[in-house]
Amino acid sequence: MDRDGAKQTIERVLSLRKDGDLEVELVARTSSHTRFARNEITTSGFVEDVALTVAARREGRSGAVSTNDLSSEGLKQAVTRAVELRDLMPVDPEWVETLPPQKYPTLEKYDREAERARAGDRAPGVKAALTLADRRKLTAAGFFENSVERRGIANSKGNFGFHESSDVEFSVTMRTSDGTGSGWASAYSPRFSEVDPKSLARRAADKGVESAKPREVPPGDYTVILEPDAVAALVQTLQFGALSKRAADEGRSVFSKEGGGNRIGEKVAHEAVTLRTDPMEPRVPAMPWSAPGPFGGTASGLPNRRVAWIEKGVLKTMFADRYWAGKTGVEPTPFPASLVLEGGRETLDALIAGTDRGLLVTRFWYIRTVNPQTWQLTGLTRDGLFLIEKGKITAPAVNLRFNESPVVMLQNIEGMTPAVPAGRLLVPAIKSREFTFTSKSDAV
Amino acid sequence: MHGPSRREFLRSCGASALALAAFEMVPGAFVVRRAEAAYPAPDRLETLGSVALEKARSLGASYADIRINRYRTQNVLLRSTPDWTTGTINNVPSVVDSESFGFGVRVIHGGAWGFAASAVVDKDTIARMTAEAVAIARAHARLRREPVRLAKVSAAKDTYSTPLVKDPFDVGVADKLALLQETSDEVRKVTGVFSVTGFMEQRLEERFFMSTDGSVIRQRIVQVAPEYTATARDLKTRKAKTRTYRPDAVCGGYEFIEKGGLVENARRVGEEVVNHLKAPSVSPGTKDLVLLPTHLALTIHESIGHSTELDRAMGYEANFAGTSFLTPDKLGKFRVGSDMVNVFGDRVLPQALSTCGYDDDGVKTKRFPILKSGLFVGYQTIREQAHFIGQDESTACCYADSYASVPFQRMPNVWLAAGEKAASLDDLVSGVDDGILIDGRGSYSIDHQRYNFQFGGDAFREIKGGKVGAMIADVAYQSRTPDFWQACDLLGDQTTWQNVGLNRDGKGEPGQINAMSHGCPASRFRGITVIRTE
Repeated sequence: MDRDGAKQTIERVLSLRKDGDLEVELVARTSSHTRFARNEITTSGFVEDVALTVAARREGRSGAVSTNDLSSEGLKQAVTRAVELRDLMPVDPEWVETLPPQKYPTLEKYDREAERARAGDRAPGVKAALTLADRRKLTAAGFFENSVERRGIANSKGNFGFHESSDVEFSVTMRTSDGTGSGWASAYSPRFSEVDPKSLARRAADKGVESAKPREVPPGDYTVILEPDAVAALVQTLQFGALSKRAADEGRSVFSKEGGGNRIGEKVAHEAVTLRTDPMEPRVPAMPWSAPGPFGGTASGLPNRRVAWIEKGVLKTMFADRYWAGKTGVEPTPFPASLVLEGGRETLDALIAGTDRGLLVTRFWYIRTVNPQTWQLTGLTRDGLFLIEKGKITAPAVNLRFNESPVVMLQNIEGMTPAVPAGRLLVPAIKSREFTFTSKSDAV
Repeated sequence: MHGPSRREFLRSCGASALALAAFEMVPGAFVVRRAEAAYPAPDRLETLGSVALEKARSLGASYADIRINRYRTQNVLLRSTPDWTTGTINNVPSVVDSESFGFGVRVIHGGAWGFAASAVVDKDTIARMTAEAVAIARAHARLRREPVRLAKVSAAKDTYSTPLVKDPFDVGVADKLALLQETSDEVRKVTGVFSVTGFMEQRLEERFFMSTDGSVIRQRIVQVAPEYTATARDLKTRKAKTRTYRPDAVCGGYEFIEKGGLVENARRVGEEVVNHLKAPSVSPGTKDLVLLPTHLALTIHESIGHSTELDRAMGYEANFAGTSFLTPDKLGKFRVGSDMVNVFGDRVLPQALSTCGYDDDGVKTKRFPILKSGLFVGYQTIREQAHFIGQDESTACCYADSYASVPFQRMPNVWLAAGEKAASLDDLVSGVDDGILIDGRGSYSIDHQRYNFQFGGDAFREIKGGKVGAMIADVAYQSRTPDFWQACDLLGDQTTWQNVGLNRDGKGEPGQINAMSHGCPASRFRGITVIRTE
């Protein structure tokens, strides 16, 4: 499973070309996981899998086939079928030429231990969480997974890229025995040694105990202090639609301008807000190129690079794939992945101390877009909502549903901590005013 | 013009269901040896399956099963949008055909589960991965509080196939694109429509299950799901609206796409999206709601479907999807809805998306009550968890979305029975003084114990003085599951009942998807909180 092996298989596919171009993506993934709940291990698994996607392209037509059959015959079938599909397709009026050779950045996101770890290597971490739960009379549930992915892309024009990455994730929920408190903590890293189940279990347990027997607070507008996981959940929604230049140009987005056009160059957030894609940042996962997918359009295969989407509160760049960039006369960009929201210098304690009345939010759950034109989202607080009064946390609060736009949240910022990894993004905790909650949730 | 059929495709590959090809291996590290070109014949599947079961037994496993499955998906898409510079319509087609094949083996050893899966389906790999599954179970057995207990099951040697007339993989992609093009052209005849996106998903699951309980089961499941969405926009006011038409997604053949009324409904859909764009915002407040099946299906799914999953109620999903307000102490005692609310779990309902012969525990599928006259009477269960509520057999709700996924409890078809008394949509509406008629799915969100929810919709009409009026916009309603279902005061009769399929329900860690249907009649709910989402 290395670069040469991927290249050999891909070249074998490319050699089957008869006419037109072929584009190939090969992904091999090995993953291993342990689930636990009710203070015991429930299910665990180990999976080796592979997927090959072949797109045949010629003169405005393309057809794509995906298979996990990498035998010689399987490769031939995939190419034959892709070509057959291509030749049945009408001409695509938004066709872009096959990508010429690209220069991809080298990203170090692989850890050998993350690939080798098996059930026995994860067991001590899970045991630490279960032991802590027993000792503190809590009920633990969680997930521990390590995986490695090797991905190669290539096409008939001579482009080739290879990337290997690992991913380790541990998350844990600790619920109190009376069912009134619940805490959660999670961490991700490409490196197995950097995920510490014991400290995460302690954090979840503390949150669970502190959140028990919550007090009802009325829905309404609150100053909120959003912990990094809550910020990440809101900010990452911007990837899917809001930052699309096409959606904005076509009048379908929060960044559309009244009367037509987009809001590039306008101040859309507080001046402290800089939001960028940074594949070079070691603490966020990234691929060397823009991945194929329903949201990536014709940006697929473009080298990933640093892009500032919002800089000092001003909308600087919007995601434009190769087709839309060509149509509207801008440089194409990679998909807005690997998001980094620059933070401030305050501590979480200082943000709390400076708040007369507000709510501290651990994380959000079930976020959905309600109105794409304002990017209003709805969702709920979960696993620790706390009332702040006169600079101090005074009580756990019953969970609330919010209806709010992250764009408004980023305009109303009153303070930020430094950015830390959260939900595979790098974001700060944020204090923001007038965050709207619309109803109470009885869920714990 | 017709595309190559699935059978022609297999023939062109030089493979048949009976052939075992020893293909030349590709050199290099990415080699995946595929012993089977097509889905193997029954005796070959049994031979391969026996390798896992024998290996598991020899290593001391108390239970083992293997699934050797093949999946095929074809997604056909056509997006029609005006060109940015010329304004002429760009019809952008896309077809992606995906296929995968592999096995997953599950064992119980020392009272703990182990699971391993691979896309390499040969005897050596099956034996190796079975040993891996046993090793996992061994490593984790000491972190079990008590051994896994499986409810009884009858050994079955059986087959099941989705009844269908026209295999969707036998229909050429050109025909499919032509239907989407005709639909798009028809929608676009309405002035004010900006773009149209049509989509058809077709799925095939060929499943083989074999267990140490003596079951050998083969199933062939076919699902189709067509839809299209029209968009209208107003650059001056910076507003945009969409309207989606979804004929029922079903277990069945291409005939359901052909008779799904795609073209016949196109003008209406176009007119409604344009009207929606011009419609005034709702005045928020407490209102009565008349919900059409196309909308109510998702509300049933989120509020009743997920809250009556036993694994959630017992805490198995506490770290991700959440738990449930319907804890086991409420079984048989807690009133979720009004007297008229009768809800069933069902994996035998014809055409419904979760319907099959056997679940992934090898249990024969069935129908079972969930709410009876509003009372909570039944959970969705799997073999491992039935004993938690004193039952000695499961309700056959075990499913894995891939050979590479661990089977666990998934939602069956969960449907609301029609009202017993004659009641048309007009009857439902006529009793409403100030209300809203909601059609189709919109934004949806519910808390992690399935109490508080907020649902939007796809199209809204005002109801005033017992009559349906003009379209309104920016509507969502909020409620709490028991409050909402107890506010149900009239169900439409069977003539208003419709089976509505949902095909992308997510659950579990690692995440898996699932498809099921939620049949229901048009229904009326009193005094629900409506908010404006402008």
